[in-house]
Amino acid sequence: MKVEGLDEMLVAAAQAGSSQAFSRLVDRHQQAVRAFLRRACGDWAMADDLAQETFLAAWPRIGRLKAGASVRAWLCGIAYRKHLTARRSAARSRVRDEAWQADSEATRDAAPADKIALDRAMAALPPDQRACVALCLAGDFSHAEAAEALDLPLGTVKSHVARGRARLFAALGVEDDAC
Amino acid sequence: MTLAEDRLKALFAQDEPSARDPAFSTAVMERLARRRWLQDLAFLGALSGLGGLALWAAWPVLQPALAAVSGELAPAAFGLAVALSAVAMLGGQVFHAQSAES
Repeated sequence: MKVEGLDEMLVAAAQAGSSQAFSRLVDRHQQAVRAFLRRACGDWAMADDLAQETFLAAWPRIGRLKAGASVRAWLCGIAYRKHLTARRSAARSRVRDEAWQADSEATRDAAPADKIALDRAMAALPPDQRACVALCLAGDFSHAEAAEALDLPLGTVKSHVARGRARLFAALGVEDDAC
Repeated sequence: MTLAEDRLKALFAQDEPSARDPAFSTAVMERLARRRWLQDLAFLGALSGLGGLALWAAWPVLQPALAAVSGELAPAAFGLAVALSAVAMLGGQVFHAQSAES
């Protein structure tokens, strides 16, 4: 069975109230959602908390998911809104912000130089651009799928990805041989 | 895909969680079950509160009527209470057995 077909079947069962079907959806999409959040917020522990919150928020809303819609794009959309809310509340809490900073610095210390440079470059990107890069360059989302997930126009996604890619390549000191 | 993109992809791959993570899925489903249980509890609590309030409001009317028929209805009311308790307890067990099987 095709991936989309299985997703559609599981969504239909979950919409009918099957928590087992929803559990299979969690199994199937946890990797995409957690990877996206890790790249979008840079803090793995917080990303995993937000991923759990994403699935908790998805369960009561699954009835609104249209037949044939991309489940991972829908979940990443919820995840992105959760991330933005957490970001806003973090900005209000300076103490917690500093704790996150300390955590991420500690993580960086153990990482190789290229990864550190990439993490820093990702952290310097504006949130929308960072999310586009996380989905399209790292997560194999199509531009259209990312536009659907982030609720952004397709052209904006394309330009965010192009600019983000250029900034990441510059940070890594490599030339984009596609240009 | 270009070499530069390959390099970027390899670096991004370090953030990738494993494709299967039963601990994560279990944690999500446990939190979901807890949330649903709390919602059920809140619903039953609200229902009981409303029932109590309705009984309190209707008590001045009910009380004389109940006092008048209580002597004759006491054995039947006792039997009904026992039967309802038995159904509630056994019904719950049957329901849990069916849930465990499915």
